Amino acid sequence: MQQKAITLTGRIAVGGVIIVALLWVLFPFYWAFLNSIKNPADTFQPTWIPFLQFQPTLDHWLSELAIPEIRRALLNSTIISVGAATLASILGTLAAYALARFRFIKPTNGSLTTWFLSQRVLPPVVVVVPFFLLMRELHLLDSVWSLVLLNATFLLPFPIIILSQMFRELPIELEEAALVDGATRLQIFTRIALPLVVPGLVATWIICMAFSWNEFLFALTLTSKSAIPMPVIIAGAEHTRGVQFWFVGVRVLLTMLPPTILALMAQRYIIQGLTLGAVKG
Amino acid sequence: MSQTSEGLPPVPESPTEAAVAPVSATRTDRTKSLFILPAVVWILLFTIFPLLYALRTSFYSFRYGKINQFVGLDNFARLFTDQNLHSGLKVTLIFVTVTVTVEMLLGFGLAILLNREIRGRNVLRAIMILPLFATPVAVGYLGITLYYERNGPINSLVRLLLGTGSEIPWLSDPTWALISVMILDIWQWTPFVFLICLAALQGLPQDLFEAARVDGGTGPQLFRYITLPLMTPILFLILLLRLVEAFKVFDIPTSLTLGGPGRATEVYSLFTYRTALRFFDHGYAAAQGFLLLFIVMLIVSLLFGRIRGLYEYEG
Repeated sequence: MQQKAITLTGRIAVGGVIIVALLWVLFPFYWAFLNSIKNPADTFQPTWIPFLQFQPTLDHWLSELAIPEIRRALLNSTIISVGAATLASILGTLAAYALARFRFIKPTNGSLTTWFLSQRVLPPVVVVVPFFLLMRELHLLDSVWSLVLLNATFLLPFPIIILSQMFRELPIELEEAALVDGATRLQIFTRIALPLVVPGLVATWIICMAFSWNEFLFALTLTSKSAIPMPVIIAGAEHTRGVQFWFVGVRVLLTMLPPTILALMAQRYIIQGLTLGAVKG
Repeated sequence: MSQTSEGLPPVPESPTEAAVAPVSATRTDRTKSLFILPAVVWILLFTIFPLLYALRTSFYSFRYGKINQFVGLDNFARLFTDQNLHSGLKVTLIFVTVTVTVEMLLGFGLAILLNREIRGRNVLRAIMILPLFATPVAVGYLGITLYYERNGPINSLVRLLLGTGSEIPWLSDPTWALISVMILDIWQWTPFVFLICLAALQGLPQDLFEAARVDGGTGPQLFRYITLPLMTPILFLILLLRLVEAFKVFDIPTSLTLGGPGRATEVYSLFTYRTALRFFDHGYAAAQGFLLLFIVMLIVSLLFGRIRGLYEYEG
């Protein structure tokens, strides 16, 4: 009897926690959305319900999307994130397969893994100056390609850690049989192992894509005009016009939506990927 | 290098080469290199080289962004006397300590609470992934509208609950500004701890719990003697990952408060960024970078030793 009472209170408590957690996570997104459809005067009022409390408008979306700089920033962000994610995934998958299937003696597999992982320890601000000076020398300042290269470098640990774990969990017998039949390692990799880790590959690609889309420090440092991506566009909004909540709302959503929607679509695999990376890495 | 590698969980050695038909050693070596070398060379090129470049930079003074003259260790000596740098370091340490602690407790706690059959858990998991992928700079700018002191949603709620006049100076007061920055970071990263803890909890061997329950173990006992010991290595790894990322914090304080008011939220990376790219004092900025790298490495290696101990005990 007492047991049952506890479970009931427990259930209510758990339900309450879930509701609070959901509100806590979702409210900022909702507020950005509200700001983006409010008339300027309304954005400074604490009103929460469109139509009932204020008249919504799509004007800010239309006017923001008509700005050439913003269109170009969306394009730049796409090039940077897709390029960096693809590059990191290719290099990372190859290395991951090597770590999972070959034995390295000097240095060992373990120290190679640690070394790859340790790239995440390096604070970007340490290398931002050398990269700035270097890109200036190479005349690559304000070029999307410099950001593709840098993002790929700092993302490389993700595919390596996650995918080497996935390769390790594949049954080895298939590959051994193919080796005996005279297939080369490259053939085994592309025909047998790679197709089996596609879900993991998609997840890591999306993680890399989102993180390079969101990257700010290098983008801020290395771009000035034509290569500016979305995160820098948001930061620039303030300088030119002061903080205008309605435009901030549109820009914030334009910037956040692509990575979050992608992540949402692949969430099952992403959680698996993140967990493999953290728990077993 | 080989010293620290033992800190990782044991990497199962692949049996392939032993088990598989004889392939000449040189051919295997060539194949191995083909797979691993691109990544190794890439990282060497893009991290070791800039680090060496930064090291050289740190021995020079700069004027108008151009190398001026060799100054030896002067830039490093300045690290010890620069009040503003120390303030940045202090802000960062407070930020790291508070956010990582809250994120670990909240994330792990939530995971424990929700590690059971609940309707809607999958929806919750899906939604929890959103903050992780939200652009931090955008989160900062969004924060400006959320914390808006006169009529923003948060202060409206505060006013509703505590009455007029109790509004909180979220961005104009130095202490509150730092709290505001930390809240956004906690919003963004608690889900990371939660998701990984939840997945790990679900991977725990259930028969252990069954056996303990049959023996009359209570909920708190199960937690203390089974869940916690099994989760400790994973918790340490998450802690390590969060610590490393938290020390790099730049985006949210830069976008939400620009380091202000005063220097209240000027974190280390922001200070170094300004030294380098507002004042073009590249040599000094490089020295600051190395100090940060040193601090993070120190903490990582201390924790790594601890993790190694845990894994050796377990395995």
